[in-house]
Amino acid sequence: MAKKQRGKGASLQKKAENEKGVGDFNLALDSSDDEAPEEVTFEDSKARAVESLKLALDTARREKELLKEKRRKRQEFFQEQKKKKLLSADVLEEIDSVPSKKQKPAEDEGLSSAALPRSLKGSYTVSTATDRGQSDYQRQAAEDFIQSRLYGPGSCRSSNNEMLSLKNKTRADKSAAVQFVKKDWASKEKAKAEKMKRRWIHKQQIPTS
Amino acid sequence: MIQMGEFKVHRVRFFDYMPSAIRSMAFNSHTERLAVARADGAVEIFNFADNYFQEKVIAGRDGRSIEALCWVGRRLFSAGLEGEITEYDLENLRPRYSIEAYGGPIWTISSNSQGTLLAAGCEDGTVKMFEVLEDRIQFQTNLSRQKGRIISLSWHPSGAQIAAGMMDMIKIFDSETGQATHRLLVDRGVGTSKSREVVVWSVAFLNDHTIISGDSAGKVQIWDGLTGTLIRTHLVTKWDVLVLAVSQDESSVIAGTSEGTVVQFQFLPSTVGQQDKLWVQTRTFKNHSHDVRALVHTDTAVVSGGMDTQLVVRPLLDKVEKNTQESALHKIAFPHRNLVSCAKKAGLLLFQFPDHLELWRLGESDRNGTPGESLPVKRKPEKLIQLKIKGEDHICCSALSPCGSWLAYATVAAVRLYRLQLSSSNVSIQKVSKLPRELKSVHQLCFSSDSCRLFASSSFSSVVVVALDQTDCKYLHTLKHKSGSKQPIHILSPSEDGQWLATANTDCEIHVFNLRKMKLHCSVPAYSSCPTAVSIHPTSGNLVSVHADQQIFEFSLKQKEYSVWSRQLQRQGLHPLWLQRDTPVTQITFNPNNPAHIMLHDVFMFCIIDQSLPLPEAKSKLYNQRILQSLPEPQRLRESHAFKACKNFQHLLSVNLLEDLSLVVVERPLVDIVCQLPAPVRQKLFAT
Repeated sequence: MAKKQRGKGASLQKKAENEKGVGDFNLALDSSDDEAPEEVTFEDSKARAVESLKLALDTARREKELLKEKRRKRQEFFQEQKKKKLLSADVLEEIDSVPSKKQKPAEDEGLSSAALPRSLKGSYTVSTATDRGQSDYQRQAAEDFIQSRLYGPGSCRSSNNEMLSLKNKTRADKSAAVQFVKKDWASKEKAKAEKMKRRWIHKQQIPTS
Repeated sequence: MIQMGEFKVHRVRFFDYMPSAIRSMAFNSHTERLAVARADGAVEIFNFADNYFQEKVIAGRDGRSIEALCWVGRRLFSAGLEGEITEYDLENLRPRYSIEAYGGPIWTISSNSQGTLLAAGCEDGTVKMFEVLEDRIQFQTNLSRQKGRIISLSWHPSGAQIAAGMMDMIKIFDSETGQATHRLLVDRGVGTSKSREVVVWSVAFLNDHTIISGDSAGKVQIWDGLTGTLIRTHLVTKWDVLVLAVSQDESSVIAGTSEGTVVQFQFLPSTVGQQDKLWVQTRTFKNHSHDVRALVHTDTAVVSGGMDTQLVVRPLLDKVEKNTQESALHKIAFPHRNLVSCAKKAGLLLFQFPDHLELWRLGESDRNGTPGESLPVKRKPEKLIQLKIKGEDHICCSALSPCGSWLAYATVAAVRLYRLQLSSSNVSIQKVSKLPRELKSVHQLCFSSDSCRLFASSSFSSVVVVALDQTDCKYLHTLKHKSGSKQPIHILSPSEDGQWLATANTDCEIHVFNLRKMKLHCSVPAYSSCPTAVSIHPTSGNLVSVHADQQIFEFSLKQKEYSVWSRQLQRQGLHPLWLQRDTPVTQITFNPNNPAHIMLHDVFMFCIIDQSLPLPEAKSKLYNQRILQSLPEPQRLRESHAFKACKNFQHLLSVNLLEDLSLVVVERPLVDIVCQLPAPVRQKLFAT
């Protein structure tokens, strides 16, 4: 009886879905408690469950296979790259043979350059690289700190021109602002302004000409 | 070019000399020397007992930035953002050694009053203790590590505690255990600055356990170091209080601000007659236009320096006699040595910058004019060579031979010599590769007048003489004097005829060597003030020397005694206005046309001393040239005195006389320097 009841629940749903298109008001009548539930065999539902399991397993397997393919392809690609980077086999052989020849005379010379297994002929010296990367970075950060505290935003700074011009204005024999008096003040800015002015005039002349 | 009297004058204003900002100072009260550290890594020593003369300059280095200086006895230490503590050799003008502190950038160093320990405040929050040994310093221990950077340090005079200024707080450490015993929280500023941390730029720990702090919110705060509580707050400025200094007797504290002011606090009773004292804000000095970053409080004066590169000594008027030379304000804005070399025969100028040299050819004018007239320039001055240093050490000294075919410069690491070939269309420079190995540790360079010899002052107060050939140079001799002094020689002056070489060292000794025999000829009698310029007269063979206290002497080399004129000058005494000048004479030249003339200059005036005219009386006017010009001829002859000074050119860096008897005057107006300084604070003044 219990199996039948289980089957009933499933078939009722299905019936309701099938009859939706026909008429919604029929649904209420259909799902009354008077009617006997539909009969669905255990085999049917078992088959359905097994099917869905198989589907899930299939998709999982397929995905795994796809991944495998991808990985294999990548591996091959890397192998290709590596092969390209390496020199050709005969060049490698040649190089390999040369150092072994060189080692012998070094050993014969004795321990003239004590710490070196390979001899460095000629005027070469070995020294540790001055790795100042970390300290330079820290120094730069410290300098930026001072710069931002003294001259950064919120520091209320003026310009030398303004300070000197104020001095000119407030002294006994008043004179003009320093930027006017000094010919070579901000010469780069003046040259840039001059260039822009000429460019603007040129632009203005083109449509009229 | 202008016409001045009988001279054609080349007015040179294309030397873009830029001094470096003063970053830190330290005063040694026993030797009365002030050490000044500049932003480019250079260290200068000023002698406060000798009219504030800049005795020694140790050249800087790319990548060395000094944040703090400290004297321990007679030894000088510095530390900076590259994380190293450096000790300086003041006899050979170079760093003796540097050791890494391994704490990141070092912000401050301070020694205890016993001189046994040196504490360094680092970026990583540790205070590192170094033991001061006889020939080096050795790391001892770290105090307990803190979470913020250590910006400032101050030892308690007993050496048992040390106060550290950090971000938003001050910590007091016990130097024995290394643990932080108190934490003093510093208020942030108001308004927008409340979101930023406040930096305690400077702390001072007094004997009675009072701690005084200056921070970036513009406050000077007084704390009780025993209980860790705030006693009083003084809001001094809207900008930062960057530095503090305490007087020896702890009765006065000065604070330097970003505005350029120095505010003084004194420990005074609150009302007259009362016993209980407190710290009261008394005076404000405004002697700088830009931030004040270094301060020293001596017994009699306030010494300040900062971003405007000028060193200001302000005597405190309650400690010195008013209206005397002692009480005058001193501003040192220009170096006390020559940065310009002139090739008299070739009309070339060599400008010395810290990291490069510039060789210029002077312009030409073929017209003559009336005095004061500006002459048209036929050919403009042009820069021929810009020579950059190899390596990171800055240039100590440089020289150009009179014929213009040799150029030499020296750093602490090496000496470099170049051969120049100049024609009207082509300039070529060739380095002389193999130099004698005796040429090392050189402080001063000078070519002989025939350009065949190069003199270099070296260690142990000796002079190395090198012979110059077409393309190479050979070591000849080392000249040594017998006085036993090891101080560096800062002046080298060969005579025109190549027979004598006059040398002067910072022990105030002047020695003259005979170059034909290559040995010491004589030593000028000792005088207490350091010579600032020395030169040998081409015809009379007399040695003229000017000293830091503005005294002038003339010494006859043949008779080995002071000349008659010099004795007369000493008897009468120099004019008081002459003695009150506060910039030293850095160059003496002679006029081949007129052997009685001695030409010298300081930063503000150029003067010709006529030995044939009477010396000025103390009550007569010293600067009387303009008045004399307006007088009729017979009266002019009566009123003239020996010192003919001209103040038309300012600020003078160098005055030279070329072979064609035209003057070259190198000026660097102070305004041009101020224009290129970093930004000052924005002062809002009423009605501007």
